[in-house]
Amino acid sequence: MGEIKEVMMAYLQNKSFMDSGTKLNDDDSLTMKGIIDSIGLIELIDFISEKYSIEIPEDLLTPENFDSINGIVNIIQKLTK
Amino acid sequence: MRIDEYIANHAKTSPENIALEEKDKSIPYGLLDETINTIASEINDFDNCKFALLAESGIEYIQALMAVYRSDNIAVPLPVELTESNIREILNSNQINNIIVTEQQYSRFGNAFFEGFTTVIYIPNDSSVKNLRKKIISENNNELLRLVMYTSGTTGTPKGVMLSDENLIANANSIIEVLNITPKDKAAQVISPHHAFGNSIINSQLIAGGSIKIGGLTFLESTFKLVESGVTIFYGVPSTYRILLKYPSSFQRSFKNVRLAASAGGAMEEEIIEKIKQLNDRIEIIPMYGQTEATARLSYLPSADLEKYPDTIGKPIPGVELDVVDDSKKPVASGVTGELIARGKNILIGYLNDEEATSKKIIDGWMYTGDLAQKLPNGYFKLLGRKDDLIKVADHRVNPREVEKYIGKQNEVSDVFVVPVNHEYLGNAISLMVIPNQNTEIETLHTFCRKNLPGFLCPLEIILIENLPLSKSGKISNRSIIEGYQNVKANM
Repeated sequence: MGEIKEVMMAYLQNKSFMDSGTKLNDDDSLTMKGIIDSIGLIELIDFISEKYSIEIPEDLLTPENFDSINGIVNIIQKLTK
Repeated sequence: MRIDEYIANHAKTSPENIALEEKDKSIPYGLLDETINTIASEINDFDNCKFALLAESGIEYIQALMAVYRSDNIAVPLPVELTESNIREILNSNQINNIIVTEQQYSRFGNAFFEGFTTVIYIPNDSSVKNLRKKIISENNNELLRLVMYTSGTTGTPKGVMLSDENLIANANSIIEVLNITPKDKAAQVISPHHAFGNSIINSQLIAGGSIKIGGLTFLESTFKLVESGVTIFYGVPSTYRILLKYPSSFQRSFKNVRLAASAGGAMEEEIIEKIKQLNDRIEIIPMYGQTEATARLSYLPSADLEKYPDTIGKPIPGVELDVVDDSKKPVASGVTGELIARGKNILIGYLNDEEATSKKIIDGWMYTGDLAQKLPNGYFKLLGRKDDLIKVADHRVNPREVEKYIGKQNEVSDVFVVPVNHEYLGNAISLMVIPNQNTEIETLHTFCRKNLPGFLCPLEIILIENLPLSKSGKISNRSIIEGYQNVKANM
């Protein structure tokens, strides 16, 4: 869990509208907080697919799975099992 | 007539017909009309005053917009995808006293943001309405003005396009005719309603008595579900189609019963058209061309001619005249390149508080598009780039010189250049080349861009350079910048 979270936080720091001053809780909505937009999310999904060599079927592209750090970490864990 | 009066008519003749749908909510025309009245009753005592509209895409946005129309006031929709500082610039440059805001946007911007407004109308998630503060201050606005629309690539000094009831209705009716929209049509609105294209979906669907299914493009599972739930007309910019086509099997399944895929905002590449056709060979594809200054649309390419004239913008929509003129504003023969000009009831009143820009845009009743074009012998038109240096980024029209000025003024740099670069989904994105001074930090520049520019303008990369080779004329142009960028990349 810890490692995937670190990778995601580093990605968001570099690639999203988040900067080092942004406070982000694990359950915060990334879209509501303006950290990621639709294109940003698609790029994030490409990044995850490549990084963890997994395919993410489109029926998993839901807010539950991709709108928070917790959701993202959980779905990666599920798909890499 | 006003757009909202068409809704009132549908409410009388077919009150049970669905007008708007969003997630599990669906609003028939009768109820839509009542809700518009409820919101309008809060502001009926204002006369021809500007109301900023701060609302995300959704049922509430459309209800509030129509309520401003019904109360005979002027709507100024604020593009919510912009950053707070961009939105402030729009508000500051236009002296707007009144605002209508949804619960979601109120909590995003916070109490302090609204202190400067003398009237604040608040719309909670349950679609009721509350006035938090109200004071009528009379304003001296153009009598024809109904809507101020910002172009989607607005940065720096925003230019508000002033549109009238006649503009909105004329363009909506032309679109209804071209797309053959009927009360049976259900349109998907997944693009922003705050700009010309999204706004035209609202107007043409509601005048025709059809319905609008409102969704987004962020979580694609719900986008595909929305399309699958009975959409007959899908509207998207080219990048919308690029994103959805990334998932061909979902596209095929959900677009099975879509009769028409309309596009605008940029050229549909043949590759996109071919992929759509492969997945649904019965779907009609109609690319359209236009500008915010023309309310939305100016021309369309009939689907029968897609293969024969794929690189054209087709012919004018009904009610619009197009022509190509030389530098002395005289029409040129077909096959000769000049500036594309347009005339019709959809052409803007002018730019808000900017007579100089207006007098350059509208000359002798013709609107100058700034697009270079040729007329073909069959009466179709072909675009050949811009007269000025505007570029398309993610299907938004962007002035790179303005973006450079904006970044340059507020950062420790000696010079900044915007380079359009290819992007898998956006078509074009931008990178920056920066001539640094002793205090330049790349990370600080990235942070600035993320905070102050809309997402599609955040640079993919920032490259430090020593100097930029100027073009022969000694001027900075997109061409000299792209050449400079290619040289830098070749030596990296």
